[in-house]
Amino acid sequence: MAVTKVVMPKLSEQMESGKVIKWLKKEGDRVQSGDILAEVETDKADVEMEAFGAGVLRKILVSAGSTVPVGSLIGVIAEANDDINSVVGQAGGGAPAAEGGAKPASEAKAPSDAAAPSGAKPDMADRPAAVPPQPRSEDPAARKPAPSKGPEAPGSQRVQEVVAQQPRTLQTLPSGDGGRVKASPLARKIAAQSGVDLKLIQGSGPGGRIVRRDVEAASTAPAAAAAAAPVLRPVTPSVTGPEYEDVALSPMRAAIAKRMPLSKAPVPHFYVTSEVAMDRGWELREELNGLEGQPKISVNDLIIRACALTLLSHPGVNASFQGDRIRVFHRVHMGIAVALDEGLTTPVLRDVHAKPLAQIAVEARDLAERARQRKLRAPELSGATFSISNLGMFDVRDFSAIINPPEGAILAVGSVRRVPVVTDDGLGVGRRMALTLSCDHRVMDGAMGAKFLQDVKRLIEEPLRLLV
Amino acid sequence: MNQYDVVVVGTGPGGYVSAIRAAQLGLSVATVEDDRPGGVCLNWGCIPTKALLRNAEIVQLFEKAETFGITVQGMKADYAAAVQRSRSVADRMAKGVEFLFRKNKITLFPGTGSLKGKNVVEVRGKDGPTTLEAGRAVILATGSEPKSLSGVAIDEKTVISSNGAVRNETKPKSIVVIGAGAVGVEFADVYRSYGVEVTLLEALPRIVPIEDEEVSTQLTRSLSRRGITIKTGVKVSSVKPLAGGVVVETDGGRFEAQQVLMAVGRAARTKGVGLEALGVAMERGFVKVSPTMETSVKGVYAIGDMAGVPLLAHKAMAEGVVAAEAIAGKSPRPVDYGNVPSCTYCRPQVASIGLTEAKAKEGGREVAVGKFPFTANGKAVALGETEGFVKVIADKKTGEILGVHIIGPEATEIIHEFAVGRTLEATVDEIMHTIHAHPTLSEAALEATLAALGHAIHI
Repeated sequence: MAVTKVVMPKLSEQMESGKVIKWLKKEGDRVQSGDILAEVETDKADVEMEAFGAGVLRKILVSAGSTVPVGSLIGVIAEANDDINSVVGQAGGGAPAAEGGAKPASEAKAPSDAAAPSGAKPDMADRPAAVPPQPRSEDPAARKPAPSKGPEAPGSQRVQEVVAQQPRTLQTLPSGDGGRVKASPLARKIAAQSGVDLKLIQGSGPGGRIVRRDVEAASTAPAAAAAAAPVLRPVTPSVTGPEYEDVALSPMRAAIAKRMPLSKAPVPHFYVTSEVAMDRGWELREELNGLEGQPKISVNDLIIRACALTLLSHPGVNASFQGDRIRVFHRVHMGIAVALDEGLTTPVLRDVHAKPLAQIAVEARDLAERARQRKLRAPELSGATFSISNLGMFDVRDFSAIINPPEGAILAVGSVRRVPVVTDDGLGVGRRMALTLSCDHRVMDGAMGAKFLQDVKRLIEEPLRLLV
Repeated sequence: MNQYDVVVVGTGPGGYVSAIRAAQLGLSVATVEDDRPGGVCLNWGCIPTKALLRNAEIVQLFEKAETFGITVQGMKADYAAAVQRSRSVADRMAKGVEFLFRKNKITLFPGTGSLKGKNVVEVRGKDGPTTLEAGRAVILATGSEPKSLSGVAIDEKTVISSNGAVRNETKPKSIVVIGAGAVGVEFADVYRSYGVEVTLLEALPRIVPIEDEEVSTQLTRSLSRRGITIKTGVKVSSVKPLAGGVVVETDGGRFEAQQVLMAVGRAARTKGVGLEALGVAMERGFVKVSPTMETSVKGVYAIGDMAGVPLLAHKAMAEGVVAAEAIAGKSPRPVDYGNVPSCTYCRPQVASIGLTEAKAKEGGREVAVGKFPFTANGKAVALGETEGFVKVIADKKTGEILGVHIIGPEATEIIHEFAVGRTLEATVDEIMHTIHAHPTLSEAALEATLAALGHAIHI
């Protein structure tokens, strides 16, 4: 007999709370280990939460739409005849209450409680719990004699606290309700006519329903590449509308607001800027992009590759301040800042030092696209050793980025500009790009940062080196 | 000093609804009212006029009784009794609001409320001034009052407003109604039903000018047939007393009558509320508000007629809910001003939602228009109420329901099918696939939708 507590999983280092988007199982449903129980929204992405115990989903304690802190009990899986009162009862006192007065669904609504097939065995033994089982002393009155099941001794009630370890992407898995997308009839028609895939849109209507404005926003949203050529829309200045509106913080905006001061204030930043001649890099890129069957390479891909290679020879920049020591990384995991409508996120391209340019181009594009759809997996959102933030598409000459701790540095990339340059015979036109490295002074000094930047510049200015 | 979470100034449909919603959300609420709870709507507007219009309808039914084979002899329609009944209906509704306040533990302070600070309201009542402090927010809901034409004073004797019309137990022999919006048309109907000679003047080219043009045409025909003189596109230059009545001079002629009803619109009641001292921003005579109904001064909210058009009770109620929920820390959905039904309760009734045909076409959009007359609707024929039609305007490409215009029996009830549909973003297809009970007036809604799709069955 085992009672499995379902708790709000911690899906990233920074995650403090999560919102249950929807339950894919309802009270009374029989679940197997590995079944997707619910979708959870974190500050970074929407992820699916797996069941790690088998049995009947006896109780849902946090209803869809509510946000609770990490570790809060949100449901209970047990056999139909298990007594779960002590576990549920504890939720009121122990676990923090859900925001917005989440109403636990009535237990009477679980029709299969009595009818549940009793033959289904929990397969706990196959899958170790993330947290060691916690033996609990239960009220003796609550104990019932049970037939021996699996490895447990009769009469010992085991309560497992299980968290989802491997959230999977929403995209690759069939959703629990047969792939039904909640959308208004009008939204469906407009989507069909404008070729928008409703599965890729986040609904803003009640209960996440996709409504007309969501589809219209999606169909007019510039494609990733189109961002380079911003279209200026004429805006009629309004003097009649409301003067302002207060917009609630999205989980992502709240995370950014909380996290950035944690970097800027305690981390002593210094900045090193260098100008890179992009003429040859530009030509190379055009040449590569002219090749049939090759992935399109962006300027950013060239910079990622250049940084990855340079970091291998400047491990001091690929490092993190750890209080009493400095951790120097031997592998390069590159964080790539992706701007979203509601903020930004930094998916991580792993082991980028070992990847050729074409692979970087493909993977970076995939990460950015999925970041915009908020379909990143949790492991893709943490573990960067160095980051790049590129605002070149916004015609930014140069800027300074804030380090994303515990990383030691971040590179800010401006746009490639055509500028007058001094050549041997006088004045000419060249392409130039500014790179600004923000460094954690606790980890490195000015000269270290400058030398690193010098080598990045050299690689980009002799771009054939990026191909070998 | 009395402390409450929320102080609501004005208890019309906006104010009382916001007070109740705030109380439901666990806030302590005080309300301030210088008249009776319920505001203009319950006491002097919507509700008592609907009672009068019911009388008017019954009179008209009696006049038509012959066509049903019913002979009525010695019928007498007592106008004073109609007004008395209307008053008792209003009383009952106002008491209902008092009951709801008690039920929700809302304290009512009789008197005139004005802001003395962003969270302080002074109430000047019979027993001297009281000061209320709002811990969370003040909601202003002081409503509106009838406008007049410049240089014309409303004395409520010969020149009356809706306030006088709804109270006066004696009817005039003849009346000139200036303004053919909802108020003007409804009183024209009441007076005409009781045998008053009615002249309806409108400065714009057609009566019920905000409605679809075809509706105006149909209503003009219906009201003219009942003996109401209608003059549109006429500008009133003066209203002057005359022995035993008034004379109205216009650029389209001179009209004499015993009384004039001024129905040229309503103006926000914003004077004496203390807005100026606090620097509350205004816009075209209304208080400027955010989507959550907050004014330019944080913690001061404004709802209803004082907060902008349309001046409708149901729009005020919706705003009241939004304000209360925002104050309670919820994130309410803002009012969808594009989806507010508009209703006129004359006979035949007029109801609409969304865009008129002309407006829908303005953007160069391709529209499909479907129209179905009540003469082809079984229930309407059985009732003997066949005037009017349902008109549906849809986007040709997406089937979006852009606007619906109904004139005819129970138009003000039928419209909600489309209000719900538009809220859910239903298209003409969903209306088409909804089985409508037979025989009902609502079948005309289905048929007009089918007509927009090009295949109405019953015509």
